[in-house]
Amino acid sequence: MKKYDVLIVGAGIAGMETALNLGDMGYKVLLVEREPSIGGKMILLSKVFPTLDCASCISTPKMAATANHPNIHLMTSSEVKEVSRKNGNFRARVFRRAVFVDPAKCTGCQECEFACTVAVPDEFNFGLVARRAAFIPFPQAVPKKAVIERAGTSPCSFACPTYIKAHGYISLARSGKFEEAFHLIMEDAPLVGSLGRACYAPCEGECTRGLLEGPLPIRRIKRFIAEYYYSRHPEPEYGPPEKRNGKRVAVVGSGPAGLSAAYFLARNGYEVTVFEAQAEPGGMLRYALPSYRLPRDVVSRDVKNITALGVEIKTNHRVESLKKLREEGYHAVFLAVGTWKARKMGIEGENLRGVVDSIDFLKRVSEGESFDLAGKTVLVVGGGNVAIDAARVARRLGASRVVVQYRRSEKEMPAFRWEVEEAEEEGVEFQYLKNPVRFIGEDGQLREVESIRMRLGEPDESGRRRPIPVEGSEERMRVDFVVLAIGLKPSTSPFQDEIELNKNGTVKVNPTTLQTSLPYVFAGGDAVLGPSTMVEAMGQGKRAAFFIDRFLRGEDLQEAEFEYKLPPAKKEEVLSRQLTHTRLNPVKKKLLPPEERIKDFREVELPMTQEEVLYSSARCLDCGICSECHQCILACPADAIDFSQKAQEFEVEAEAVVVSQGFKLFPAERKPRYGFGRFFNVINAMQMDRLLAPTRPYNTILRPSDGKVPENIAYVLCTGSRDRTVNNPICSQICCMYSIKQAQLLMGALPLADITVYYMDIRAFGKGYEEFFQQASDMGVQFIKGRVAKIEEKEDGNLLLHYEDIENGGVKKVAEHDLVVLSVGLLPNPEITRIFKDEKLELDEFYWVKQVEEDVSPARTSLEGVFVAGTAAGPKDIPDSILTAGAASAEVAAYIESKRRGR
Amino acid sequence: MKDKREIIREEMAMRGKILEILKEGAKTVPEVATALGRPTEEVMFWMMAMRKYGLIEETEEMTEDGYYKYRLKEGRK
Repeated sequence: MKKYDVLIVGAGIAGMETALNLGDMGYKVLLVEREPSIGGKMILLSKVFPTLDCASCISTPKMAATANHPNIHLMTSSEVKEVSRKNGNFRARVFRRAVFVDPAKCTGCQECEFACTVAVPDEFNFGLVARRAAFIPFPQAVPKKAVIERAGTSPCSFACPTYIKAHGYISLARSGKFEEAFHLIMEDAPLVGSLGRACYAPCEGECTRGLLEGPLPIRRIKRFIAEYYYSRHPEPEYGPPEKRNGKRVAVVGSGPAGLSAAYFLARNGYEVTVFEAQAEPGGMLRYALPSYRLPRDVVSRDVKNITALGVEIKTNHRVESLKKLREEGYHAVFLAVGTWKARKMGIEGENLRGVVDSIDFLKRVSEGESFDLAGKTVLVVGGGNVAIDAARVARRLGASRVVVQYRRSEKEMPAFRWEVEEAEEEGVEFQYLKNPVRFIGEDGQLREVESIRMRLGEPDESGRRRPIPVEGSEERMRVDFVVLAIGLKPSTSPFQDEIELNKNGTVKVNPTTLQTSLPYVFAGGDAVLGPSTMVEAMGQGKRAAFFIDRFLRGEDLQEAEFEYKLPPAKKEEVLSRQLTHTRLNPVKKKLLPPEERIKDFREVELPMTQEEVLYSSARCLDCGICSECHQCILACPADAIDFSQKAQEFEVEAEAVVVSQGFKLFPAERKPRYGFGRFFNVINAMQMDRLLAPTRPYNTILRPSDGKVPENIAYVLCTGSRDRTVNNPICSQICCMYSIKQAQLLMGALPLADITVYYMDIRAFGKGYEEFFQQASDMGVQFIKGRVAKIEEKEDGNLLLHYEDIENGGVKKVAEHDLVVLSVGLLPNPEITRIFKDEKLELDEFYWVKQVEEDVSPARTSLEGVFVAGTAAGPKDIPDSILTAGAASAEVAAYIESKRRGR
Repeated sequence: MKDKREIIREEMAMRGKILEILKEGAKTVPEVATALGRPTEEVMFWMMAMRKYGLIEETEEMTEDGYYKYRLKEGRK
């Protein structure tokens, strides 16, 4: 545990000044700042009053001195979570947020900011302009290091079994960066086209926009990205990696799991051979998914993404011994043989001609075998997606009637609802709560099916209600062809003597590493999961490649962390970032008309247009804020971006604590009659200070509503101070003077502009303040004594101020201005009290930190050893803040010395 | 009223369109807003961010109505 003499909480001007004083005295200081830069609010000001000295010119040297002082340890993006006492000293827990940038490498060049694809309000310009998710707070920031704002992993990305950064490619797509989007997807999955066509898109189920009008069409956007890229790049742009490591890996099976594993292994320099029992690669993608859902040329182009890396795919090559592969020189094996065996019903007539299983049927159709189903009645048994595929294929083969029998109700059906709807549109009939009990034939040829009605009992082990036959409800139906789609089994039997299998035939693996009982063999995909989805299988392939790599490098597999993700962003927090959400209806899926669809195997779903993709991706709410588009990684010349960075917590010891957490600006929305937050040309004084500062958000002072240079500016003093209606009865002490300062600066910047200050009374109590006020008056600033009752907005963005003109008889008047500045008051920051454990830091009646002996010991608080500096104790201007910092430094030094001497 | 965060988020989707409009020559915020068919206050957010990040820059002269014109800036894409 690190020991310091003093812990200072908050690195605004008072915190910095206290730290510098104490550091100069030789005390070791830990200075903790919540923001990514020190400097507080002063560094964001234009000038200081009444001298009109440049605020940056005063602050910047202080900031640099603080950061470079040998006795000051600075922690930014950090918070003190808890302070307690132990053995006469303070113990503090300090939490440092992950900023995802290595500060030792970052040069502050801002390239990450320029490349970032996420725009959010810039809090350092008080919302007047955007910043990026990757950002340096402001030009004079200390430390001048980029940080990346992340509020968790976006739910869409988090839901993806192969951790495709869905939010990332959506944010690239909305910027029109479709090629970059493709490359981002390729970081996590090589079968981009197939996923865009046939992924079941768990990302969409988690899209926060689903809580509004409906989720983003994430899969269809991916399809557009793949088509955009493939139409411009019929062949991959890359070849085998230059560096090979000399090790060989065999992949058994070329379905999505096998291809994914092969891709990631080959990228890592392994020599990979894929063994495929079928005539062409792709596994279920090519042989089980009907081409009206996934065209074969898309699969073929996807496969090129793998073979371009030098992966050899040996087709028509069935592997039946893993040990033999080892003998052939492969250092590791990935087993991804899928589920190619169909389950049987175990009823009479299953072996009749005309009764086939779903995988056999779909595969033979894919291979081009022509089933003559014209005018025939086809029965499909089952309720999964494969059953629906088989039924729709049967319609395309000319069957006049296709019936799907499912033994449970529609509610329990595992097939996706949209698939059922599309099948129904194509004329497929569904008979729920019905199941065949026997198939009846003549001369070995199927003629009829006898089915029984079912009812639902209690839930079974799958959680679904168990179907129970209703005795005596049997009925017959003439059928010509039956497809059994009641489930698939793993094709693992050849390996049962070499590796351990589960009872259901799946391969027994370590669920984290996917390593089997034979250490050099890893397994994944349906062979491990049972029938799963394409993207789940790809995720397994990616995981296996990660652990095979570690295995072959001799590393401990249990120690390795695969794909660290932040927890998912909380949807309710995402939605609460905005007061309103514009309704943006989703683009509906476009399909061929049903009567066209069943004519052949043409693709059913039509692509989105580029305009639809831009509109759809712009609906994204940026849940995690950073989208993980990785453009910053590509742009950073110093290789400083580090998405694996984690938050850290430290425990430190200190003899004294200084609280200098500053103040909060009064949120002017709490005075709704002034229209702040509703009228774009009503701004607060801090925003005006930003407009006046050299690092201003615009090129000059402009109206936020339309970019016009204002000509007639009003100030409304005492907004949210001296106001019991908002529970802040005290004077802000600074709003008169900062408004006069701004008025003077505006007179200089906009010589033709009229400036009017609406005030109750001008409090010019400090040295030179009265002269400063008179000077503004002499320059032509108009001062009107009177409270502003309300502000209205005109159509042209100008504002009508209703006020009481006190010095002219108290009459009610209305004045028109083209920009209104609300001179907001200061509010306390009482959250600081929460950090003190087991004792209470007292606040005064207005919730500022209580100075228990203000007259003789202004920095003392109610807690021994805890001192206060700056506006934490109450509103004050900069000179007074610095004075209190001096007082705090002296009192802290006296306290420590006294304590050390045992007095 | 549209939430400021929502307007700002749209910048990325609007950038390409604004750059295309400015290819015709320098324009004020209201002129770009008219060309885009979007409110001036929204366009103001987008154009000021584009200026901040080096995609556009202001011309030297102000129009008689008190507006600056903005043009494409060489260098960044």
